[in-house]
Amino acid sequence: MSAVVEASHLTRRFGDTTAVDDISFSVQKNTIHGLLGRNGAGKTTLMQLLTGQDFATRGEIRVFGEDPVENSGVLKNVCFIKESQRYPDEFKPRHVFTSAPWFFPNWDAAFADRLIADFRLPLNRRIKKLSRGQLSAIGVIVGLASRAPLTFFDEPYLGLDAVARQIFYDRLLEDYGDHPRTVILSTHLIDEVSNLLEHVLVIDEGRLLIDDDAETLRGSATTVVGTRQGVDAFVADREVLHRDGLGGLASVTVGRLSPQDRVRAAEMGLELSPVSLQQLVVRLTGSTQTETALEQSA
Amino acid sequence: MSTVTRTAPTEPLADGHDAGNRILAVVRLHLVNRYSVFAVPWMIMGGIFIVNLTIWWIIFASVTNESDRADARDGISYSGALFYIFVYMLVLGIQAVAYTFPFALGFSVTRRDFWLGSALTFITLSAVYSAGLTILAAIEVATDGWGLGGTMFASFYFGGADASWIERFGLYFATYLFFYFVGAAIATIYQRWRNNGMLALFGTLGLVLIAGIALVSFTSSWPAVGAWFDANGPSGVIAWSLVPTVVAAITGYFILRRATPKN
Repeated sequence: MSAVVEASHLTRRFGDTTAVDDISFSVQKNTIHGLLGRNGAGKTTLMQLLTGQDFATRGEIRVFGEDPVENSGVLKNVCFIKESQRYPDEFKPRHVFTSAPWFFPNWDAAFADRLIADFRLPLNRRIKKLSRGQLSAIGVIVGLASRAPLTFFDEPYLGLDAVARQIFYDRLLEDYGDHPRTVILSTHLIDEVSNLLEHVLVIDEGRLLIDDDAETLRGSATTVVGTRQGVDAFVADREVLHRDGLGGLASVTVGRLSPQDRVRAAEMGLELSPVSLQQLVVRLTGSTQTETALEQSA
Repeated sequence: MSTVTRTAPTEPLADGHDAGNRILAVVRLHLVNRYSVFAVPWMIMGGIFIVNLTIWWIIFASVTNESDRADARDGISYSGALFYIFVYMLVLGIQAVAYTFPFALGFSVTRRDFWLGSALTFITLSAVYSAGLTILAAIEVATDGWGLGGTMFASFYFGGADASWIERFGLYFATYLFFYFVGAAIATIYQRWRNNGMLALFGTLGLVLIAGIALVSFTSSWPAVGAWFDANGPSGVIAWSLVPTVVAAITGYFILRRATPKN
């Protein structure tokens, strides 16, 4: 067990808003992590803290065992791709790919060329003139071809079409198999990436709601559907994550169910369906919900 | 805690503290777009030169009396034509921090390596451009003002026609450095404090200027100020510009050390 990233009681305040609120977690080597949460939840700030781009108000960060701030020994093993990345004025994509190997020791030029072809990225057009998707493709290519031992993708594919996104997932998995590394991926397209993720971090309003294995998480909530009385009887002594009702029918999301629970539900004529990662995150971070409900049950 | 274990070899961690390589990489990054760094400045200079050449020719062709020509030449020697090229360098200095800094941080460069690499770039570019200007000034003097009695490079502000090449080079060099570092330092204030920083900077500069004028006026020291400029001459004033240049280089570093690039 070796932790690539360790954060303890990490807090970042901007004036009177707390973007990151007392977060502690660790990231194991060679896993793909999903960092999920709503807009403004604190995902980007958290990644900026972990990559030494921002400064913690309180708490401690260790990346490869050291403080990442102004630490070139650590940072050259880190690649941080963000949706909002700025490029020098008048730069063309070819300038980006020419200079990338000077900064990323593991850069694979052949892989980059292949990705450039995959994404059909024009190399000689000025970056300001590129479409949103092409701009995202530059980041994705740098993030993959740099093969940094710790790679962050912050909403990497704004504007990428479905085909291009699939290329990204395929190439990421393929290359990850050949060259294992630690990847932290922040995205809103949770359903699309849920099979990719091995570990999930969910943050909301700066706080860490979930820090769990993706496999564990997938079975951690179930929706029970049936008559109102039946459902109410079944969930009476359980933590309810979400409730929908229509006339005499009810649909209630609860935490993990044991095999006995499942048998009982079947006997009562209730229907059970697993809750996808995306639904889980929606339920947990939706404003009408009590946020701590799942933490106890998961 | 992850349950996934992998057997394939991990990407090796790059080791060692090859800070020098990171600094040189920043230099190369600044220069990677050769068009804006090398071609555009010379194109601007070429454009200005052609305009000036045309004006000299008009004067030369229309003023035939020898003493009137000497008069015209005297006036032309106060040419401020080179000023534009320095303004472009100020813009390059600003862009280095406004655009290249957020990009370099995205490439996992530390602020320290970025600033040192940028400083090295500024010094290198200043030396290259100063050498170019020194050569052009030498040609200008040797050809008696491009055959038309014109002055652009060996102007009064850079030592005039009688300056030695080394003196001229030093003056160009100091001027380039001033514009690069001041531009970059102003941009660091924006990176760190955004619009508030800009307002505070220019507000403070305005106040200091007014206070200075008030101080000089109330103490009736304008003649002393004039005497200082007179005693130092343009060359002396340029040499003194090294003081704000060094101040900009040092404060820019400390301001940037705590700056976070935003969109």
